[in-house]
Formats: sequence, structure tokens, C-alpha cells
Amino acid sequence: MYLALLELKAARGRFLLMGSVVVLVAALVGIVSGFTTGLGDDTISALRRLPATHLAFDRGADSDQFARSLVGEAELDGWRERDGVEAAPLGVSIARGTTDRKVEVDFAAFGVEPGSFLDPGAASGTALSAGEPSGVVVSQQLVKDGVRVGDLLTVDRLGVELEVTGTTGRSSYGHVPVAYLPVETWQRIRFATPGTRAAVAEPPHQYSAVALKAGAGADLTGADRALTTRTVTVEDAYAAAPGYTGERLTMTSIQAFLYAIAPLVVGAFFAVWTVQRRPELALLRAMGASRARLLGHTLAQAAIVVTAGAVVGAALAAALGLAVGSEVPFSLPAGALVATMATVVLVGLAGTAVTLRKVTTVDPMTMLGAGR
Amino acid sequence: MSLDLLDVTVRLGRGESRVTALSGLTVSFAPAALTALVGPSGSGKSTLLAVAGALLRPDAGRVLLNGADIAGLSPAQQARLRRERIGYVFQSGNLLSGLTALEQLLAAASVAGRSPRAVRARAIELLTEVGLGHRLRHRADQMSGGERQRIALARALLLEPDVLLVDEPTAAVDRDRAAGIVDLLAATTRRHSCVTVVATHDPVVVDAADHVVDMARLRAGADSPR
Ligand SMILES: Nc1ncnc2c1ncn2[C@@H]1O[C@H](COP(=O)(O)OP(=O)(O)OP(=O)(O)O)[C@@H](O)[C@H]1O
Ligand SMILES: [Mg+2]
Repeated sequence: MYLALLELKAARGRFLLMGSVVVLVAALVGIVSGFTTGLGDDTISALRRLPATHLAFDRGADSDQFARSLVGEAELDGWRERDGVEAAPLGVSIARGTTDRKVEVDFAAFGVEPGSFLDPGAASGTALSAGEPSGVVVSQQLVKDGVRVGDLLTVDRLGVELEVTGTTGRSSYGHVPVAYLPVETWQRIRFATPGTRAAVAEPPHQYSAVALKAGAGADLTGADRALTTRTVTVEDAYAAAPGYTGERLTMTSIQAFLYAIAPLVVGAFFAVWTVQRRPELALLRAMGASRARLLGHTLAQAAIVVTAGAVVGAALAAALGLAVGSEVPFSLPAGALVATMATVVLVGLAGTAVTLRKVTTVDPMTMLGAGR
Repeated sequence: MSLDLLDVTVRLGRGESRVTALSGLTVSFAPAALTALVGPSGSGKSTLLAVAGALLRPDAGRVLLNGADIAGLSPAQQARLRRERIGYVFQSGNLLSGLTALEQLLAAASVAGRSPRAVRARAIELLTEVGLGHRLRHRADQMSGGERQRIALARALLLEPDVLLVDEPTAAVDRDRAAGIVDLLAATTRRHSCVTVVATHDPVVVDAADHVVDMARLRAGADSPR
């Protein structure tokens, strides 16, 4: 280790250069990872928050289920009667509205049954209640947009009036902040004819899905067959959120490329470094240094450079996360940061693996050539 | 401590360029004595040192270090022998680039498994003895050939080897320095009772040596102790 450090010091210019490349790659990986999580949260945090295990959609809806699927009273009641399953209706649709103080907002209307397990409660103000069908509980982003408890929120072009009774934490769906409202009111929004400015008197008693809390033994397939629904886990339903699959694919492929670049860059550097110091390696071998020692020595140098680079890169990515605040969808929790940096270190070290053979095959006999 | 080569043959190179560098050579080096190894260029002096220093396995013959044959050791065993018992100063290329004179010695200690801190005082003392006390923290690759050779010598002495093999230590230094180096070699040899073999063309070294081995005569089959 002593020798490895001496060499690092002696060639610090080169190692600094190498280290800064690792810093940039690591910072980029961190930033991309932050955006992946941030964008993901923006798309599906409302679904992640649902205290449900499964969602039962209409059997006919294979994709974009939240927009396409409609299930009725019969399916809801059917699910409620199944053993080991708790069921609650869920309505999801996107709407726009304007408050009486002229704040215009987009929101994802999540229709839930007040008091059911889907009811988000309220962090401030009062929760939804069955006796107050026009009440609405808004999520954090809407509060930031300027919606306050007590505001009157009118759904554009439909004239449905909602009264903001409470707020809840972060929750968004398809990059749009969520507003929770009683499912009957949701039906009035979902099934209204735009432009008529007249609420449908008796909208159909339908929902986007039946949310389920299923115990381990629950026979979901049997229930699906009997009720003509298609049940998926909540996690599988993420893919039905608008844009989710495409975003993830984009971000993870950028990340994958970075993970491929890191070992190549580090590997190329150490290949050149090793070739350059073959005379030194031959001398060390001639002085009796074992192969294992030279290997450890080279790996230690790689580990120091790659780890230091990753740590600085992580700090950069985290600093960027703090700088952008909540203006952009960026989320880089410590655990994720540590995991991505550990991966950068590992793939970086893997890049040196090809060089290690060159280190061990150095022939100490080259020391005899007088022309050195 | 003794070093004996018995009927040692070494062939170097491959194919067309293959040469027999040593052929059936037998020679003994006296313990606690400085032996000058002389002979014309290409006569195999460096090759002999490499065999004696466990750097090169002979194609035939035995190499006895204190009576134990080291010719058949595995590469790992050879490496261990080199770092624990052999001090080697090569004809050139002895130093690690970018390191200071003092660091060269401390690095060698570290390779041999010794604590650099523990040998630090001795390292400074040795560098002073070879006349480089004022240049401890100078980068070795910015020094002259003679200075570099003296650093290498100090490094070989640092670990107090049983066998000290030195290839042309005075080729790049002036007469006074050469005398100083030979004195140091002779003193070290006596103090540690090590076997010291110095390949050289330099009359200064030959005059100061306890024994002279002439490669040309060895080939003819006659050793010439003085
Ligand atoms: N790697 C090698 N491959 C082929 N032949 C070699 C190799 N190294 C040395 N030789 C040959 O072996 C012979 C002995 O070389 P060696 O270096 O031992 O001579 P030397 O006595 O040390 O010469 P000098 O006084 O010039 O240093 C020479 O003929 C040389 O050309
Ligand atoms: Mg030679």
C-alpha cells in the first residue's frame, strides 16, 4: 500500500486527470438516477401511495387502463364479497380547474369512497366525508400552485364546483398533482359532456378500477374469471400511467450506457498506465515483489482513484439535487446515491481487470538488458 | 554464507538468436569477501549475476546458497529469496520513476515487507554514506547516472542482504567516487559477512577486491583467486 500511494503521489497529475473523468461519469450517473427517480415519482407517486395490493380493471382494457377501463357496481360488489379481499372503488381522470381566486391548475382527479382504505385523510384541514360530496383534498403541489383550504375550485367547461377542505402530502399522477374527491363527484366529472355546462343528473355508477387489499390466500384468478375483471398488482399498474414506461426506458438506457462507459474509460487508462510502467514493474519483480503484491498494488491504485472519483461525483450530483430544489422532478435519496456510486466503483474496477494480466506477466529478466 | 555455482549452463534468446551465455561454468564465491567479476563484454558477467541472484533459472547445473540448491526453485520461491536475501544493483534501470532518492529506499523496504518508518533513519544514513545526504528529497530521475547508481547501491545495502550482486557500479562515476563506492562495498561486505560479487571493468574495483574472477579464464576452466 505504501508503494501504491508513493506511485499515486509521483504520478498525481495523471491520476487527477483520470479521477476527474470518473468524477464526471459518476456525477452524470447520479444526476440521471436522480431524474429517473424524480420523473418516476412525478408519474406514479399517487399509485405508489395507494394502500392497495392490486387493482382490478375491466377485462377489455389491456393498456392505458386508467383511461380505458370502466368497472361497474356489480364488479365492485362482487369483489367486496370475495374472501380475504378488501375492495374499494377508484376513479382516475385528468381535469383542469380554476379557483375563485383565479388560480388555474391541472389536476388528476382521484375519486375515492370517503372513509375507505383509499381515503388519504388530511394533513391539514378536514378529510373527505360522505356528507360533503363537493369536498376535495388537494396534494402538496397544488398547494404550491396556490390552491388553499377554503377555495372554491371550478372544473373548467363542466362547471362542477369543488370546495377545498384539506391538503395531503406529495401525490402526482402522469406529472399532474392529485386532488382526492368523493367517487360520486368524480363520476360527475368523468361522465359529463364537456361544454354543456350542465352536470349529468345521474352519471353511471362506474369506476376506473376496484382497488384491492388482498391477503395471501385470496383467489384473485377465480374472482377475475367470475367478475370479468383483470387484476394486476399495483406495481404492474404503474405501466398504465401515462408516459411511465417510455420515460423509464429512456432514463435506464442512458444509465446503462454510462455504466458501460465507466469501465472502458478506467480500463483504458490503466492499460496505458501499466504499459508505461512495465520497466518499474519489472524492477519490482526483480526486487522480489510477488505477483499478488503487484496485483494488489494496482488494484489499490484503481480503487483509490475510482472511489475518490465516485465520492466527489456523488457530492456533485447531490449538490445539484439541492440546487434545483423541487423546481424540477429530481429525487436522489441517500440510499439510491450510495447504490449508484457503488455500481460506478464496481464497474470501474471491472475495467481494470483486463490490465491485471499484463501486470502479472511482466518478466523481471528484462532488467538484464543493458539498453534500458 | 557461501555461494557456489556448479556446472551451470544458461542459454538465452529464442530460435536463431539463441546463445549459450554460460556453459558448464563452475565457480565459488568466498563468504565475507568482495569478489570482482571481470571479463570482456558479452562474456556472461550479467548472466552469472542473474543466476546467482535467483532471477534466472539455469538450463543445467546447480546454484548453492549456503549449501542449498536454489536452481530449482519455483518462481514464487525465487521471488521470496530475492526480496529476503539478495541485494541487487542492475547495470541500469534501477529506480522507480517519480520517486525521490529517499522514497526509492523506503519503497524497497516496503516490497521486502519491512516498515518504511523503521528503516528511515538507516536509509538516510546510507544515502549520506554514498554522498547523497543533501539530495534525499530530490527526484531520482532528475539525477545523473552515477548518482542514480549510488542510490541503487544504498537501496541494496539497506536490507542487509546475504548476497550482494552489483553490476558495473562504477561505470558512470569519476575515480574518487568509484573509490568511495568500493570502500563502502568492502566495508559492508565485512560488516555483514555477505557474499559480494561485483561485475566490473574498472581497475579501481579490481584493485580493492579480495578476489578476482575472470570470465575468460573460467571458460578455459581455471579460476584465479588472488
Ligand atoms: N535476452 C537475451 N537474449 C539473447 N541473448 C542474450 C540476452 N541477454 C544476453 N544475451 C547474450 O548473452 C551473452 C552474455 O551476456 P551478458 O549480458 O551476461 O554479458 P556481460 O558479460 O554482462 O557483458 P557486458 O560487460 O557488456 O555487460 C551475450 O552474448 C549476450 O548477447
Ligand atoms: Mg553486463
